[in-house]
Amino acid sequence: MAKKLYIFGIGGTGSRVIKALTMLFAAGCKLDNGFDTVIPIIIDPDISNGDLDRTKNILRLYQEIRCQVNQPDDFFSQDVRTINELTNNSGEINPDYFQFKLKGVDGSSFGKYIGFDELSDDALLSEDDKNFVRLFYSDENLKSDLSVGFKGNPNMGSIVLNQFTNSEDFQRFGLTFGSDDAIFIINSIFGGTGAAGFPLLLKNFRGNTGLPRAAQIKDAPIGGITYLPYFSLNDKPESSIDSDSFEEKAKIAIDYYNRTIINQNKINVLYLIGNKSANNIYENFEGKAEQKNDAHFLEMAGAIAVIDFCKNINSYSVDNGVAVNGTQVKEFGVEKDSEVLLFEHLNNENLKLLFEPLTKFRLYTEYLAKGLQKSLNVSRWTKSNIKLVKKSKNSCIDENYFNSPEYKNHIKGFNEYFTEWINEMSNNKPSFSPFNDITPDNALTLVKNKMPKGNFSFKSLDTENCLLIDQNEMKFSVDKKHTTLIKLFGKSTAGVLKKHNLFKK
Amino acid sequence: MITDVFSGIYETIFGIRDDKFSLIFSTLYNEWGYIKLGLTFLFIPLLSWFLFYYVWRYPYGKLWHWALWFLISGIVVFGCTWSLANTIILASNNQQLIDALNDPQSGYKQYASDLPLIYAMINTSLALVLGFICSLIFKRLSKVQMHLPF
Repeated sequence: MAKKLYIFGIGGTGSRVIKALTMLFAAGCKLDNGFDTVIPIIIDPDISNGDLDRTKNILRLYQEIRCQVNQPDDFFSQDVRTINELTNNSGEINPDYFQFKLKGVDGSSFGKYIGFDELSDDALLSEDDKNFVRLFYSDENLKSDLSVGFKGNPNMGSIVLNQFTNSEDFQRFGLTFGSDDAIFIINSIFGGTGAAGFPLLLKNFRGNTGLPRAAQIKDAPIGGITYLPYFSLNDKPESSIDSDSFEEKAKIAIDYYNRTIINQNKINVLYLIGNKSANNIYENFEGKAEQKNDAHFLEMAGAIAVIDFCKNINSYSVDNGVAVNGTQVKEFGVEKDSEVLLFEHLNNENLKLLFEPLTKFRLYTEYLAKGLQKSLNVSRWTKSNIKLVKKSKNSCIDENYFNSPEYKNHIKGFNEYFTEWINEMSNNKPSFSPFNDITPDNALTLVKNKMPKGNFSFKSLDTENCLLIDQNEMKFSVDKKHTTLIKLFGKSTAGVLKKHNLFKK
Repeated sequence: MITDVFSGIYETIFGIRDDKFSLIFSTLYNEWGYIKLGLTFLFIPLLSWFLFYYVWRYPYGKLWHWALWFLISGIVVFGCTWSLANTIILASNNQQLIDALNDPQSGYKQYASDLPLIYAMINTSLALVLGFICSLIFKRLSKVQMHLPF
């Protein structure tokens, strides 16, 4: 039976983990146990945040490509939708629906949001409300612009985010929730938005009777990732975010989570991911478009946690809002510690999950960027005007296709994001850099420390494409324009990597 | 039967027969000469286009690759036919023909020396025509070179 997984990504870290998960889905990773639809929901008050924008754009491209592939079974096989698509039963692609909107945060200060200015500060009349509020919030907090988020202040975040559980978006989430569906929450514990949003969301899932299908949501399996500090920010006197406080904040929040979530078995599984010796330093931006942190290996580890959650879903049960087997706490680790992580440093399970899909997709993106030029309108698989053969023997993906706006905007656009993601992980600390830079002549040496047998060039891939192109499943209808390309490369990359001993036969 | 078919091609269609030098043509007929010549223009293009379309897996094949293959198959047929005709006619074991070739008065030597070139040219032409037809048929089932020659 069809199952849905709702993934709530809170703040910048939430966005980046959803981005990593989308990349894995594009590469052909899929959720186990019948989870055929994923609904990513980003919660971030900073609507112009660079990470958020990039993730929404990647999700949009993923959907644009996927909806033009007939029954995808390899690359882009996991269905990703918005709540709007589910409620309206429409195929309209609008990335704005991946985000839950918060009302009253645009151009508003926190003080204005909580009605601070309307309060009395007359101590003589025993109406000293302002000073009472000042016990909880500094002047800096009260003047803080909410449109850039909570800048590491969960005490502000918990107030503002509380409104959204009564929002129209949240109600619609409830309406679409099915009895076999599950929820996953991604947050970072050392900031503002994520640290505040996680317990708030969980509290509502387990106890908000005002939600449609509240009973089903209350007893749904819920998993979560909480990110411990894994990066720091450079010192910037004018910024109100100080990464020296990350660890302290994390300790305080973890203590709170321990008391209110873990000990009370409110969640089935909690993944804790972090890097204690974090020595990667990002530019210190308080928010908006400038806050666009490089992709990090641990965000991909978060995406693996989502897959792991679905794989073990049958062992999670909930009774009256309490996890029956208690809360499992899991941590992420690599097999061998190294400053530069390669595939061989991952444990066997993660290696099995990532190696083949990522290598295939990397070969596909590198081919389209560096190898296509040689074969376009030369190789049989790119030609649609072959004479004296059946029409079905001609390729659907010819020069016109590769010059079409759909190819240039969707496929090329997504592939550029994938390459950027791989490169950013490679340049971060610790670096996840399993791939070599390649040229068309040594294309098959793409995986570090793995020597292929035979010819290293893209020739094998072009030959494989020629052998596969006239299979029936490669044909597309007018509205499924990317079917041939996506299905062809899903098969041909696997075939070539097997033939050259990079994959097991 | 097959000998009759091939001898018919060379003798009747291309008119390469002169009864004054009947020893040459009877040797070709009796010593499998026509069969060897015929199979040369048949099998060499068949084999070469089979290799081109089903064995050679080069995904970047262009029209000039096809044209070069066409030319090479023609040259191979020319060379093989010339060499074969030389062997069958000028190095025959037929004693009567040997005697005739060695008799300067008979005119055999001069007539026979031109024949390998003529057979080579005929076979090359036939091989090129047959090769072209083969290529149009073979391409339909080829996976990698289906787009050649057009």
